[in-house]
Amino acid sequence: MIDVRNRRGNAMLSRETLAIAIFVLWQSCAFGQMAHQHATEAACDEPTLRCASKVTPAFGPDGTLWLAWMAGGEISVANSKDHGHSFSAPVRVSRERLNLDWGPDARPKIVVDRNGGIALAFSIFMDKAFNGQVLYTRSTDGGKTFAELRPITTGSESQRFEALAFDADGSVFAAWLDKRNRAPAQKNGQKYEGAGVFFASSNDGGLTYSEARLAQDNTCECCRLGVAFAAPGRPVVVFRNIYAGGVRDHAILTFADPATPGEVHRISKDEWQISACPHHGPSLSISAAGTYHVTWYTSGKVRKGLFYARSQDGGRTFSDPLPVGRTDHGASRPHVLTRPHDTAMVWKECDGERTAVNLMTSRDDGMTWSKPTTVAKTTDTSDHPLLVSDGQRIFLSWMTKADGYRFQVIEDAP
Amino acid sequence: MKRQVLAGVFLVGFLLSAPASETPPQLKPFTRGSWQHVLRSHAGHPTIVHFWGVTCGPCKVELPLLGAFMKDHPAIDVVTISADLVPDILGATQTMLEKSGLSSAENWIFSDGFVELLRFEIDPGWQGDIPRSMLISREGAITTIEGSAEMTELAKWSDQQLAASR
Repeated sequence: MIDVRNRRGNAMLSRETLAIAIFVLWQSCAFGQMAHQHATEAACDEPTLRCASKVTPAFGPDGTLWLAWMAGGEISVANSKDHGHSFSAPVRVSRERLNLDWGPDARPKIVVDRNGGIALAFSIFMDKAFNGQVLYTRSTDGGKTFAELRPITTGSESQRFEALAFDADGSVFAAWLDKRNRAPAQKNGQKYEGAGVFFASSNDGGLTYSEARLAQDNTCECCRLGVAFAAPGRPVVVFRNIYAGGVRDHAILTFADPATPGEVHRISKDEWQISACPHHGPSLSISAAGTYHVTWYTSGKVRKGLFYARSQDGGRTFSDPLPVGRTDHGASRPHVLTRPHDTAMVWKECDGERTAVNLMTSRDDGMTWSKPTTVAKTTDTSDHPLLVSDGQRIFLSWMTKADGYRFQVIEDAP
Repeated sequence: MKRQVLAGVFLVGFLLSAPASETPPQLKPFTRGSWQHVLRSHAGHPTIVHFWGVTCGPCKVELPLLGAFMKDHPAIDVVTISADLVPDILGATQTMLEKSGLSSAENWIFSDGFVELLRFEIDPGWQGDIPRSMLISREGAITTIEGSAEMTELAKWSDQQLAASR
């Protein structure tokens, strides 16, 4: 039908026609790509692991690896008895397609207690203004079934960026960012910045949660939280705070007990004054010796890039920030994890063609670190690199669009 | 023959475009190479490139101010790029641009899942925080404003650009 032959007499027409056809095809391809923007984040649009854009790992007490993932608008769970070589049939936690929070720092959270009970939480968008709601569920039959999804709080204002952790006594500690204090403040004519870190706990293995309480108000509203335990009953939360003048630097607070938030301490004076959503939250891990390990991203006046610092006084003071990765390669998404004898840190870098996951390890509880080595690469979009331990070894968990889900042991650096 | 051929072209075009008919036509898909296209097409013109997203609170405040700025400063090219990473936001993006008086600006939306690469092409040090504005002078010098820009600052820059061209 389209005549593009270059014959005398209609050569001009052919060129015109070709130009129009190319334009039409370009537009069609372009708009088609836009219509499928959703799918470009993932390899496909089914609720399978291969189609996941975000995958969160957790080990159970028996060494079983559990994954919770976001794919095809649903949250699913599966487990592996062979360190990720094969997985059980996935179980859908959500029973319908949901308007999931797909923000850069959002992901489903899964934790497994010492008896194999599973607690899970994630966020959805509940309206067209992208106000979030944190939903939770649990499984008491080894992940075969999950309870009906419930909101973690009765609050109706936006909630996002939940974090979960099992305490030593089997209770679940949950924290999230919540905007419930915004409307009352504004009603009183006060300016309200950011959101509040709210928390709740569950003493029945994640069946019900206590009433939400405020740990710290006016924090950054769009970055993931880091949660770990300093000791039984003493959760620690690291978050991007908002300091005077709109400076969004990181802070940490250690609970005196699961219901009593402690003092807020600044981790580093980066002086990142920005009225924006960095979408780039911190990571926290606490060693058996009680050392706090924190990694974060900043673009402050004082320093820019990824940094690591440690605290040996329960988070009151921190070491000088150690630069991590190459800022000219967009070093991003740092994650740190300790185990009894070593500590590992991973992050992503992009060289303009590929994204690499780089690793540093420490054998002296974070005082000195190995040189960075690249442990994985991919040529398309990817999830945050996450570290997870079975108590013996540390593993990298990384979902990639091009290469699927990757789970690999982190070898000790020489 | 000519009419038939053109009719065929438009028919093919219509059929190919049909599945995406609900896509707002003003939004251009920002993919690999788009940044160089933006720079080339505005070379020699003072240009404000504004990165934003519908899920970003400060962006909702700034966008209408940018719309008013554009109306008051017709000599400055205004380009918006939605860099939000939440999918299925075409409708919301278009609505916010329209409400903010930015329908006639050059509007793009991130349309490649490999956002690290898109950001690398724009600025390797940018980790995706929005809003963000890049002020590109006639000579191509780029001034980056992280976070919400003060409109007075944009106006001052605009006046400097126009004064330099006289």
